[in-house]
Amino acid sequence: MVLLIRAIVRPEKKDDVLAELSSAGFNAATMVDVVGRGKQKGIRIGGMVYDEIPKTLILMVIPDEARDKVIRTILAVGKTGKEGTFGDGKIFVSLVDEVYTISKGTAGL
Amino acid sequence: MKEIMAVVRMKKTGATKKALVAAGVAGFTAVKVLGRGNLVTDPQAIEECKEKLLSMGMDEFSEAGDTDKTVTSFLDGSRFFPRRLFTILVHDDDVPRIIEAVAKANRTEYGIGDGTIFVLPISDAVRMRTGEAGESAIW
Repeated sequence: MVLLIRAIVRPEKKDDVLAELSSAGFNAATMVDVVGRGKQKGIRIGGMVYDEIPKTLILMVIPDEARDKVIRTILAVGKTGKEGTFGDGKIFVSLVDEVYTISKGTAGL
Repeated sequence: MKEIMAVVRMKKTGATKKALVAAGVAGFTAVKVLGRGNLVTDPQAIEECKEKLLSMGMDEFSEAGDTDKTVTSFLDGSRFFPRRLFTILVHDDDVPRIIEAVAKANRTEYGIGDGTIFVLPISDAVRMRTGEAGESAIW
């Protein structure tokens, strides 16, 4: 079984997260700059509401066995401070039916 | 109902769009992304690529050391390259046909870096204009 990990992390943390994942053996990744808000409805400073907070979306497709390792790595590195802070992001995991590598023309990661 | 995610070279965006139209798919979403792939373990492939890049990168203004450093950093697998992420919503029966079309349009002589295609299950879709849901909302 193959899984797609979508991790929304702080842009300033993305390099650390990706470097750590790479050294753990998961080099392949795709990232997109996104904006979004979470449960806290954005940030309120005075009368201003910031609800389009910049984040980085990291997409990774990994085998099922690697799930725990990847998620634990992202959680450990992506967190701000010891306890974590609002805005550190989220991880979503979904199923992938099929994977193809274009250059090889074969199925599989 | 399936979602096909394809990461392709920037230069192949046009070819991919044409291939999709030819395969009978009109709708897609494309995003500019940065991506990197699995580490290339074959030292010969890296060496060949390095030679090619070095011969392209050298001119009278560049210093050999700098160019070598840049080329090495290109090939060590840690760098992200610009790619286009296509998201296409399709009926189950059309999946193999569309994968074949996208793969064919994107295969190059370079091999490494041609991209990957992922197929994900989708539970539902709704067309905003009419409110219809399910298979008929795709196309």
